[in-house]
Amino acid sequence: MNNRDLFGLGIRNLLRRKTRTFLAVIGVVVGTCAIVVMLSIGFGLSANFQEQIESYGNLHLIDIYSNGGMMMGGMNNGKPAVLDDKAIAAIEKIEGVDAASPKESIYLTFAIGKYICNNEVIGLRPEVMQKFNYELQDGRLLRTGDKYTMVMGNQIPLMFFNPKKSQGNEWSDEPKVDVITNKMIITADEYYGQKRPKDEEKITYKEYKTKCVGVLANPNDDSAYSAFMPLDIVKAIEQDTARAEKEPKKSKSTGYENAMVYVGNINDVEDVSNAIRDMGFQTSSLNDWLKSMQETANMIQGILGGIGGISLFVAALGITNTMIMSIYERTKEIGVMKVIGANLTDIRKMFLLEAGMIGFIGGLIGLIISFTLSLLMNTVLSEVMGQALGEIAGGYGSTVSIIPWWVALGALGFSTIIGLLAGYYPAKRAMRLSALESLRNE
Amino acid sequence: MSDLKNHIKQDTKIDRKPLIEVKNVRKVYRMGDEKVIALDNVSLTIYKGEIVCFLGTSGSGKSTFLNMVAGLEKPTRGEIFIGGIPIHKLNEAKITLFRQKNIGFIFQAYHLMTMLTAMENISLPLIFGGIEKKKRNKMAKDMLKAVGLKGYENRKPSQMSGGQQQRVGIARALVGKPKIIFADEPTGNLDTNTTKEVMKLIVNMVMDNNQTLIIVTHDRSIADYADKVVTIQDGNILNVKEQNKKDMCKEEC
Repeated sequence: MNNRDLFGLGIRNLLRRKTRTFLAVIGVVVGTCAIVVMLSIGFGLSANFQEQIESYGNLHLIDIYSNGGMMMGGMNNGKPAVLDDKAIAAIEKIEGVDAASPKESIYLTFAIGKYICNNEVIGLRPEVMQKFNYELQDGRLLRTGDKYTMVMGNQIPLMFFNPKKSQGNEWSDEPKVDVITNKMIITADEYYGQKRPKDEEKITYKEYKTKCVGVLANPNDDSAYSAFMPLDIVKAIEQDTARAEKEPKKSKSTGYENAMVYVGNINDVEDVSNAIRDMGFQTSSLNDWLKSMQETANMIQGILGGIGGISLFVAALGITNTMIMSIYERTKEIGVMKVIGANLTDIRKMFLLEAGMIGFIGGLIGLIISFTLSLLMNTVLSEVMGQALGEIAGGYGSTVSIIPWWVALGALGFSTIIGLLAGYYPAKRAMRLSALESLRNE
Repeated sequence: MSDLKNHIKQDTKIDRKPLIEVKNVRKVYRMGDEKVIALDNVSLTIYKGEIVCFLGTSGSGKSTFLNMVAGLEKPTRGEIFIGGIPIHKLNEAKITLFRQKNIGFIFQAYHLMTMLTAMENISLPLIFGGIEKKKRNKMAKDMLKAVGLKGYENRKPSQMSGGQQQRVGIARALVGKPKIIFADEPTGNLDTNTTKEVMKLIVNMVMDNNQTLIIVTHDRSIADYADKVVTIQDGNILNVKEQNKKDMCKEEC
């Protein structure tokens, strides 16, 4: 018996008992919907968590802190771990690490004309900044050979103020300066352009002409409030400042205090963090957060999916019941088929196919309804659903429900398999039915 | 009609190849604690091209005999060979395949599939045999014409009379050109006139194709169409009578 004939007979048999088929299909539809919609809410939650955390910063970045030579914790072969160029080179070699750079920061005053702004400047190796994947709103990132060059977060231009007219930073919606085209100087002088307190009057700070070459795009994370310059320049400014303030010369450098690492694949972040911690340094990344939030999301998703799973299980019982009833009804027919030459496997295939089709059709309709529901939840019901979920999970974002393509395919496959499994016992029973007994059954 | 007479002569005199050999077959059913002997000790040889009629009252064991020769039941003891193949030893899958290739069945209650049309019902054995659609449609159509139901292709069984349904049943049994055709009370549900028509149809078609026909019935008038009449009583063969079957021409002409 070829497959096309098998299929044709199967469809006819299903259509023959429309009501019962319809009810069995409805069962699968409800089950599929329950699973897919529940899972989609879980995915929505999880995506919202990620969205939320990403808005705080870049999930690919790991911050590294040396322990400042302290004896607490960070030990490497008995000696305190030192975050020097050698250590950075070793970190760069860890699998999954795309780029690493030491990080020095200094608090400086930026001045453009009569407007100033006090802000932290982070020194990075200019050649690796591009690998850190900062998005630009304007201009370019730092690159090899840059000297007095700066890239700043997009909130900094808004922070420039005229010290003669106002006290301290004053937020404005419109930047008063154009950081890229206007000439800028930077200095360690906190009171640049203002009257200094008496005890600092004698210090002469250097002023450095600096060119701002780029503005970063992300308005939410901490890079929006940072300015970046080449590491060597920041170090030079630090030294100049120390000299000007006549600080006692530091003992020979014991390495950097901080470093930054960029990991290309988010899934590697945890392993890389662990490897760096094993070297004796402390790390922090937003990924640590994300993980615990994701665990919560997974748990919620598991519970929701489980509820859905129960409905599909009930649907499977419905299919089995439908098929068993159908065997009772068709006992005679099965017997006749056997007598006139249906192979045993044909009989089994016929029943399996019918059950499988109930599963498949139910799954298909269920998916269509699921996508519709998902769309509704994300649009019309978005506010209500968001609030309800926000209370469960703490925080919600723009999308309530997400159905990834593999869940859709998986659900379809799953409902079909459920149908086949549910049909297995009835099919076997039909196959084993004695032809003779069936014919006597009149 | 001379063709037909030659054919009969050939049947009875020249072509005496044993097709079905039944040797010392016994069948015992268990009904609770009681044993019921359906067949006691039956031996019989049926030759190719013969038309054999089993006569007996209900409970005589004639249906049990038919079922065992068709491989639907296994004998408690004894051997059954069809064309040299030991039917009693084959497993269910093999015997199904054997039936599909060699045996056609005509039932008392027609047993047509209610959801299928006449054409589809006739095609069913071919569908099970995996024959492609174009070929089997032609075969089914020819068969439908041969049983006189041209134009009834798309009728469902519920839209046909008993006689018409049985014609479809006959067409279904014969469409695969099986060597042996079993008919279990084929006219049991039909009136006298229809019985005659249907019997004539079966016998003529079987003779045209040189097939072997085994009819089981309690109706003595049916026995007239057979070359050999086997009377069964209480699980044993009472007598075997060879005869010249009724000349169909007499009634027809």
